[in-house]
Amino acid sequence: MSETPQTAKPAKGKNAIAVLRERHGGMSKELKEYFKEQQRIRKLLREGLKGGAMTVPQLAAACKLETHTTMWHLMAMRRYGEVVEGAEQNGYLLYTLKEG
Amino acid sequence: MAKIRERYDALVIGGGIAGMQAALDLGEQGYDVLLVEKEPSIGGVMVGLNKVFPTLDCSSCICTPRMAEAAHHARIQLQTYTEVERVEKKGTGFAVHLVKKPRFLIEDDCVGCNLCELACPIDVPHEFDYGLGARRAVYIPHGNAIPQTAVLDVENCVFCGKCEKVCPTHCFDFTQEAEEVTTSAGAVIIATGLQITPMAAKKEYGGDTFVNVMNPLGMERIQSSNGPYGRVLRPSDGKIPRSIAYVQCAGSRDRSIGIPYCSRVCCMYALKQALLLTHYIHGVEVTLYYMDIRAFGKGYEQFYRRAVKEGVKATKGKVAKITEADNHDLILRVEMLDENGRVEERRHDLVVLAQGLVPGWHVGGVVDAEEAEDGFLLTPEAKVSPSHTTMEGVFVGGVAAGPKDIPDAIVEAGEAAMAAANYLERIGWRAMAGAVLGASAAKQEVVETWEMH
Repeated sequence: MSETPQTAKPAKGKNAIAVLRERHGGMSKELKEYFKEQQRIRKLLREGLKGGAMTVPQLAAACKLETHTTMWHLMAMRRYGEVVEGAEQNGYLLYTLKEG
Repeated sequence: MAKIRERYDALVIGGGIAGMQAALDLGEQGYDVLLVEKEPSIGGVMVGLNKVFPTLDCSSCICTPRMAEAAHHARIQLQTYTEVERVEKKGTGFAVHLVKKPRFLIEDDCVGCNLCELACPIDVPHEFDYGLGARRAVYIPHGNAIPQTAVLDVENCVFCGKCEKVCPTHCFDFTQEAEEVTTSAGAVIIATGLQITPMAAKKEYGGDTFVNVMNPLGMERIQSSNGPYGRVLRPSDGKIPRSIAYVQCAGSRDRSIGIPYCSRVCCMYALKQALLLTHYIHGVEVTLYYMDIRAFGKGYEQFYRRAVKEGVKATKGKVAKITEADNHDLILRVEMLDENGRVEERRHDLVVLAQGLVPGWHVGGVVDAEEAEDGFLLTPEAKVSPSHTTMEGVFVGGVAAGPKDIPDAIVEAGEAAMAAANYLERIGWRAMAGAVLGASAAKQEVVETWEMH
């Protein structure tokens, strides 16, 4: 893999990310809303799973979310190690929060 | 890591299986190759597939050794996350204008530890999983990616700076910008592969509306052990599907969507996926609705018969419309072709549309080679010189020339490499390079002699 030489010194330290934010005009309004909604859903799912293992439809009903929205977020949490799958119950898998 | 040099023997556009094969064949013959890929990793579509037909070999087990070989070959230089802006004839060779997209980190310093990805707080749909799974704004493209280097998707960045804070090598460089680079090559091979027919193409099937109507590449990811769900589940609610339908010719052989040709691989990939589903889910019922089965390759007809023998239901029927029930089940309105066109409605948990193949990239404005009516590159002498395009010195390999399966794509990529090598010898490109290098060496010698005095 070729790397062309860097023309500027890498931005490091406290204000490094500010350089990027300024150049790209910060987060768009849509992204801010998307991120806020993601945080709201994740909080609901974590709270819901504190009660024990649940299938996607059970969790969606408990959190008053659409099943496909619940599925997508739960799979994201599974990918990044926050949730683990367990046994099968009536054709669905049970999911729990990962301990620790 | 090497800097882009001023001159290469060949430019290969596209780092999928065909591009890698062409680059390796040229590299093995001693030609210097620049292999350019627009994505952050090489591997193309093939590295995301589960298994290949008819052998059911693991796809990434075949693809990843090629990726590693291409990445480590002394004669091949990889340039990932780079777009080809313009290839223009200049003298005997081509001037090549590239734009290297910023990863916002120094590639040499990234160790692929994944800590930045784990620290990033935002999840967005992952392109590699066709949106079924998630990735972070900063991410390593996938487990088999080459290079194993992170990339920051600035459009989805929340600018929290956590990635930089956890990076053990301090490789982030937020000042990076897109960079234009120009080089030259004696020959060009286009191996830009495929996309599948857009899911919205056939409104009657609801491919862009119903959550449980899937594209076949998404099904490949779901069937893969490293896929978004870890096993086969349906996207709407995580149910283990018990009844799955495949709708054949959903994105080709259809003038109404502007794709009149047969895509050649849909029957076989659908049969492969259907057979594997019967292995993965105990008691599953898989039905293929087809007009006719085109199993033309070596061992393909036998594979079709095996799939049917092992439980896949092949039903000669044309699906007219798909509607969605309350629980996201799907209702297919089918014209039963073997029963005098009787119309029947059938309910399934999940539907896969056997989408066709369309070009992965169009040359318009970038390379002055012509495209055929179907959008694939025109090969005027397809029977005797299948890799020759309408532009001298520009060759094509793999699906960029038309729909084909993996073995055919590899064979044609090899043919493109051979044609490019012949062309380079005919125009004396390497001899010219020798003359240029010789002149440079002589000039250097004069300078050194002058400095000594």
